[in-house]
Amino acid sequence: MARENDPPLLILTSLASGPKHGYALQQDIEAFAGVRLGPGTLYGAVARLEERGLIEPAGPAGRRRPYRLTAAGAESLETTIASMRAIVTEGSARLARAGVALAGGLA
Amino acid sequence: MLLVRLYPATWRARYGAELEALILEASAGGRVPWRTRADVVRAAARERVHAALGGSAPDRVRASASVVLWAWAAFVVAGVGVQKYSEHWQSATPAGSRELPAAAFDALVVTAGIGSVLVLAGIAATVPSLAALLRAGGWPRIRRPVTAALVLAATLVPATIGLVLWAHRLTEAQRNGHDALYTGIGAAWGLLVLATLVGWTRAATATAAHLDLPPAVLRLEARLAAALAVAMAVMTAATAVWWASLAAAGTVSSLAPQLVVAGVLMLLATVVAAGAAGRGLRAA
Repeated sequence: MARENDPPLLILTSLASGPKHGYALQQDIEAFAGVRLGPGTLYGAVARLEERGLIEPAGPAGRRRPYRLTAAGAESLETTIASMRAIVTEGSARLARAGVALAGGLA
Repeated sequence: MLLVRLYPATWRARYGAELEALILEASAGGRVPWRTRADVVRAAARERVHAALGGSAPDRVRASASVVLWAWAAFVVAGVGVQKYSEHWQSATPAGSRELPAAAFDALVVTAGIGSVLVLAGIAATVPSLAALLRAGGWPRIRRPVTAALVLAATLVPATIGLVLWAHRLTEAQRNGHDALYTGIGAAWGLLVLATLVGWTRAATATAAHLDLPPAVLRLEARLAAALAVAMAVMTAATAVWWASLAAAGTVSSLAPQLVVAGVLMLLATVVAAGAAGRGLRAA
């Protein structure tokens, strides 16, 4: 499911495969999540992530400056993914049980 | 690009060029879609709110150091006023009443020297980041304020030499208000000094907004700004002691207008610098 309301997570996920500049981030996120982040939204999230030390510039200042994950950013992404995995596991289990119950009810 | 100008100056200095490049690339060089425009306007509004609530820690340190530098510039102007007024205080003060004002005046001069060293140290600490900015093609972003400051300095140097050479040909009476032309040109030179001071302070703070300063340098800048605020407080106190002791000796009036204006300016600059330095230390 595309999480349009979580640009920082989308950016961290994109940078997990290597450094990217703004346009490359936008293209990559659209490719794997089906979400096209606007330039303002994307750079707002980049600024917050850099402020929190989760990403950092991977090259000198310029119009196409790339960013990369920091160790703290990778750790934050892992924590978020683990949390989401737990929700996915629990949600799937509950749906499966509900499916059985639903199937039983219909029968 | 007008859209990018909606952002706060500090944010624009850091991300403006990248955001503009992304907007142009995402629009394939054509007309920027309304959806993109709306997204940027919304994001710029959020950044303005964020900046109003304090911005990032590096931005807060940078902003507080810039405020302290501006306060120092105002303090220097006030100090020049005190210096001008104090030119002949020793010869006008009875020998028995000179000890306390002399100690206060010495403290003022020494602390002024320390303050100048602190400012120079703060500038020196940013040189590697400035070099990195210039290597990365950042000169156009700081060209305007730096060029203006250089032009003012280049005008001030020959003007000062000319004024000094002229002054040597005049009598003491002519130098002290009895030559209208010299007085008028002296006042114009004073304005040029003021403009040069403002120009360099503006160049320094505008350049600092474009620099990527490492955390260690930001911490150093915050501490130097705090030390400068302390130096300003010491100088204000020393000036007050010097002034009060001379007033008690009957050498100067306790309500001398030039000293009142200079004293108030010193006090205001110190209060502003102390507040900003405190914010910078908390953010560093």
